[in-house]
Amino acid sequence: MRALVIDDSRAMRRIVGSILEDFGYETRQAGDGRQALDVLEEGYLPDLACVDWNMPVMDGLQFVSAVRSNPAYRSVTLMMVTTESETSQIVRALAAGAHEYMIKPFTADAMRDKLALLGLLPQEVSL
Amino acid sequence: MTLTATSFDWVRQLVHRESAIVLQPGKEYLVEARLLPMAQQRGLSGVSELVESVRNRPDAATTRRIVEALTTNETSWFRDGDPFTALTGMVLPSLLGGRRPDEPITIWSAACSSGQEAYTIAMLLSDALPDAARRVSITATDLSREMVERTRAGRFSQLEVNRGLPASMLVRHFTRAGNEWEISPTLRRMVTATECNLAAPLPRMGPFDIVYLRNVLIYFDLATKQGILRRVRQLMRPDGWLFLGAAETTLGVDDNWERVVLGRGSAYRPRKGN
Amino acid sequence: MSEHASSLVQQPITDVLDATTVQRIADDVWTALVGDGEVLVPLPVPAPEQTVSAWVQITGPWCGAVVVTCDQPTGVALTECLLRARPPAVIEPEDVDDALGELANVLGGNVKSLLPEPSSLGLPQTGPTPPASRPEDLCRVDAQWRGQSLTITVQGATGAPHAERNEVPQ
Repeated sequence: MRALVIDDSRAMRRIVGSILEDFGYETRQAGDGRQALDVLEEGYLPDLACVDWNMPVMDGLQFVSAVRSNPAYRSVTLMMVTTESETSQIVRALAAGAHEYMIKPFTADAMRDKLALLGLLPQEVSL
Repeated sequence: MTLTATSFDWVRQLVHRESAIVLQPGKEYLVEARLLPMAQQRGLSGVSELVESVRNRPDAATTRRIVEALTTNETSWFRDGDPFTALTGMVLPSLLGGRRPDEPITIWSAACSSGQEAYTIAMLLSDALPDAARRVSITATDLSREMVERTRAGRFSQLEVNRGLPASMLVRHFTRAGNEWEISPTLRRMVTATECNLAAPLPRMGPFDIVYLRNVLIYFDLATKQGILRRVRQLMRPDGWLFLGAAETTLGVDDNWERVVLGRGSAYRPRKGN
Repeated sequence: MSEHASSLVQQPITDVLDATTVQRIADDVWTALVGDGEVLVPLPVPAPEQTVSAWVQITGPWCGAVVVTCDQPTGVALTECLLRARPPAVIEPEDVDDALGELANVLGGNVKSLLPEPSSLGLPQTGPTPPASRPEDLCRVDAQWRGQSLTITVQGATGAPHAERNEVPQ
């Protein structure tokens, strides 16, 4: 399984990345939506992209819209991982095409639960 | 820090005895932070004073609250998804086939903790049955009064709603209440929460079509397990369904149940002719 | 509520938020982000002389910032905790800025959700503690983490329209 972790905070990229690696993922990182699109355009197609919302250059919502409007990226599951936590914001992200939504702060257990919901939890670590 | 070494040791031993959880040395600050609100509520100046007062005048309720404050962890919504997939996929259609359209569907979430299981069931059934609000009644019980009150309130912290609740369900069934999330009144009305000790004679309730009794039996010895399963069976309808935790079974405990494989998991049904 | 709020002079933050709520948000952030069993104890200790701050700005019916302040060694220790699974060999000042900034960001987002909509969150900034405006537009948690002082403030912006225009609570 491959994941792309998109966040302007290096600390958060490391946190999300290392949780996913503990679940057996191979991860790559990007510091904003534009960099993340570059990674996809290079041909790196992850199973999962964890996307922060507020980032410089291109924010997470724009990234989600861009990915969902390109049929070549249909296999990528998109999960917003953000501190934005109003109902209206969650609805906006889902409407833009995000498959799941995780509110910061979250625990590794919460990430495991979300991956299980998405069917993206590798079998060998399911409990 | 006001916590004395003696107080910390007393709390460590208590928590270990009651929950088998080990508080390592160095976790004094955790004890301090989790118990300070309880001490302040009682007008005490600190956690050591709280410990002293319980040691001088032992009190089961306070002791239990101390253990709960130090061991409570958030539970997941669709915990071990299979029993929920089976609910709407197989169990509900089978039950509806044998019921009149106006007959109620009754469900028991035993050891409900803060209510995630009961409300997960409520959300699923309100999506699956157009008249769920009228027809479904879910009884949620727990040993802990605090947990029963939390279930009744139907309010969950940010960390709790992150635990396996699909975002689409969060926005559909919850509204923000300060920094917590509150279940919709319609779903809350489907759930009735009461205190109940499974290891003692059960209160008058049921009969139930479906019982979720998950991750409870593991804590008891064989005789208690047998007693619980017998009492639960008496509260179930003959064509009812029982869900146990993934690591639990009636096999070798109580022969009055038939195991049925449902998808990747299984359920138990009262054996006919008993 | 938001339509009214945006046309009014800014209400002080204490109308919508109290220190207990901020503390509760911080409790969740500490457990999840800093580490399981890591807690912010709401007992003040003497403030250090030299501090670092990280903050995010909130813009909307209420304008201000959510600020985290501690001393440098505490900032480094927090950074080590945040990066627990993958700490770099040497923690650089940028790592501390980044980690404290993310703490402020997560606290800020949760604070924002309690404010009238629409409010938006800026990107994290770090530096000397930004000045607060009037004292009544300030919500402050003086706490300690591992025995060291750590302060979280939710403070009105100094340039916000309320400063010279209105002192009357709405």
